[in-house]
Amino acid sequence: MKYSSQSVAMPYFIAAIGLFVGQIIFGLVMGLQYVVGDFLFPEIPFNVARMVHTNLLIVWLLFGFMGATYFLVPEEAETELYSPKLALLMFWIFLVAGAATILGYLLVPYSTLAEMTGNNILATMGREFLEQPLLTKIGIVIVALAFLFNITMTMLKGRKTVISIVLLMGLWGLAIFFLFSFYNPGNLVKDKFYWWWVVHLWVEGVWELIMAAILAFVLIKVTGVDREVIEKWLYVIITLALVTGLIGTGHHYFWIGTPEYWQWLGSVFSALEPIPFFAMTVFAFNMVNRRRREHPNKAAVLWALGTGVMAFLGAGVWGFLHTLAPVNYYTHGSQITAAHGHMAFYGAYVLVVLTIISYAMPLLRGRAANDERAQVCEMWGFWLMTISMVFITLFLTAAGILQVWLQRVSDTPMPFMAVQDQVSLFYWMRLWAGVVFAAGLVTYLASFFVKGESKPLIHA
Amino acid sequence: MRNHESPTRALHHSDHGTPLRATVIWVVLIAATIVTWSVGENGGSGPAVVGLLFAIAFGKGALIILDYMALRRAPLMWPLLALGWMTLVCALIGIAYWKGLAA
Amino acid sequence: MNTCVQTLVSPSAAPAVASDGSARRLPGDLAIWFFILAELLAFGAFFLAYAFARANNVELFNEQQLALDRNAGALNTILLLTSSYLVVRAVQAAEAGQSRRAATWIAGGFACGAGFVVVKLFEYVAKFAAGVSLSSSTFHMFYLILTFFHFMHVILGLVILAALWNGARKGRYGPGNMNGIETGAAYWHMVDLVWLILFPLVYVMR
Repeated sequence: MKYSSQSVAMPYFIAAIGLFVGQIIFGLVMGLQYVVGDFLFPEIPFNVARMVHTNLLIVWLLFGFMGATYFLVPEEAETELYSPKLALLMFWIFLVAGAATILGYLLVPYSTLAEMTGNNILATMGREFLEQPLLTKIGIVIVALAFLFNITMTMLKGRKTVISIVLLMGLWGLAIFFLFSFYNPGNLVKDKFYWWWVVHLWVEGVWELIMAAILAFVLIKVTGVDREVIEKWLYVIITLALVTGLIGTGHHYFWIGTPEYWQWLGSVFSALEPIPFFAMTVFAFNMVNRRRREHPNKAAVLWALGTGVMAFLGAGVWGFLHTLAPVNYYTHGSQITAAHGHMAFYGAYVLVVLTIISYAMPLLRGRAANDERAQVCEMWGFWLMTISMVFITLFLTAAGILQVWLQRVSDTPMPFMAVQDQVSLFYWMRLWAGVVFAAGLVTYLASFFVKGESKPLIHA
Repeated sequence: MRNHESPTRALHHSDHGTPLRATVIWVVLIAATIVTWSVGENGGSGPAVVGLLFAIAFGKGALIILDYMALRRAPLMWPLLALGWMTLVCALIGIAYWKGLAA
Repeated sequence: MNTCVQTLVSPSAAPAVASDGSARRLPGDLAIWFFILAELLAFGAFFLAYAFARANNVELFNEQQLALDRNAGALNTILLLTSSYLVVRAVQAAEAGQSRRAATWIAGGFACGAGFVVVKLFEYVAKFAAGVSLSSSTFHMFYLILTFFHFMHVILGLVILAALWNGARKGRYGPGNMNGIETGAAYWHMVDLVWLILFPLVYVMR
């Protein structure tokens, strides 16, 4: 760690990992509810568990992005953070608001929560992933603005690098597109149209910039490759990601009442969305192959390479599987979507956050890298989580193909619930893969507590 | 201004051909364009005409790829990828055209 | 995997030898070639989408194609080809150590590219006045999407040419420093290359 204010990243990373644990617990609950429908009913119905699972994911990734930014920007800008106090204050506000929201989901019926939090003043709730009460949404905007102010001021007074500019573009985009969560037109087509401006333009647009910037930063640090080379790749990757991702929004506009041309625009551009991810994979491996130093933090290198590969598979390949309109006509909203969602979020965003945590945490704790034994433990965590996620994805894909066949393609289509019974074997296997994932997560957590001699600090 | 009249220049092998070659290619490209345009103006249609159009397009594309883009002297993978793209696109357009005739 | 990535990413690592004995070399930056391949894939996908959509609607496509301005299309082809030629001359000038002369050639290339933009804008204005829109027919949708996607590439190409002109004017390029000008030129030729298929496909083939 070069600047003392970078240490504000630490609580963000810890909170991120803590919420990650919560997300996985609710994932397991839902995995069981898929096959044992009344498990924990009526205390935690499936829809609530799902809301908590997805909301926790988003919130912990945001904690991870913010932590990454607080760690990365001072180092790139070569100056202390504009206001570490503001950063810490925002941390507590965000954590308390996030926790209160999750408790609200769990303790109060959703409709009561809506009444209590002013949804009748401005109705924004009740839409998938944007379930947060109005107060929470406003809180998110305030935290985001304070955060962006802090980061932008830091950058203005320091060195401006391509990496930090790309990161900041991504973060500003994230904040701006979130504003569409307040727009809730009565027309259902319009509602869905703009709903995707938050959901899609986050994960297939601006988040990709954040991801590419974080990955590039870690790669510079662990490989020692010239910044100029890495920046060139960054330009190519973000241009491709933005062009394919922005117009690729069309792949959500196939069947919601929008004009026909979206089927062409959506199909062609989203079919190209794997390209930036492929570029990222090639980029990561190429940089590591051309490395000029052997960084003692082997685990961070593994996470970075894992991000490249898994993001391409999950976001690229599994996205492509069902993105063409004629295919999506059959697969829309099936378990194939769930398969893609799991591996894409894990491969692209979970892994990139864990990459920066793996790189930054030892530095924040005053050493260049963890002891060999701690790193081996961490790498076991990586492999257990990654391989079990591959299996979760494969089982869900199998379930999805069977589902589409029985429910939609067959000459004698079966009703939804009857099909769910037919695919339950895959749900059971997915649940067991989920248990292995949880074991991997525990292994990963344990790696933080493995004692041993630490590597001395080196300065990159 | 830096001085580029360095001794390495004598050793530097040209990758971009001569101005004369570039000019001759330009003349060929323009002439080919006029052929394509006149086919369109005369309302030409049918498999033979479309075959001619895309043979011309392929020839023009190959000149751009090999000479103007200077892939002639690049590692083989690159001209092959670019020419392979041209071949694939032209061939599939041909198949689509034939499919439209049959329909 | 490693070796595969290695060959894909650094072809210059083990230079093959051309027939005349000089080492084979990819002009410009590797990243731009990766980008160009992605662009070719994108345009390829659109060309094929057009061709196969046409196969299901031959009469509609043939009828509405007649309304396109083939003269403007041909003129634009000539402008792009000439612009490409001028940029080749610029690269050759830089290779000969005459960076400032290269700037003049690039300015010529830019002028031709700007000419393309003007012609295209007149074409669009006429089409919009005639009621052509993304939703007015499948043919119009493809015509607008394909040409507009290409149009945006011309605009980006012009920005790149402007940057090259600025660099060349300052004497930045020469036999020892060809990377920047070769990179920009490669992108510009790609914009030309895809138009060479777009023009016969959309304006002429029937």
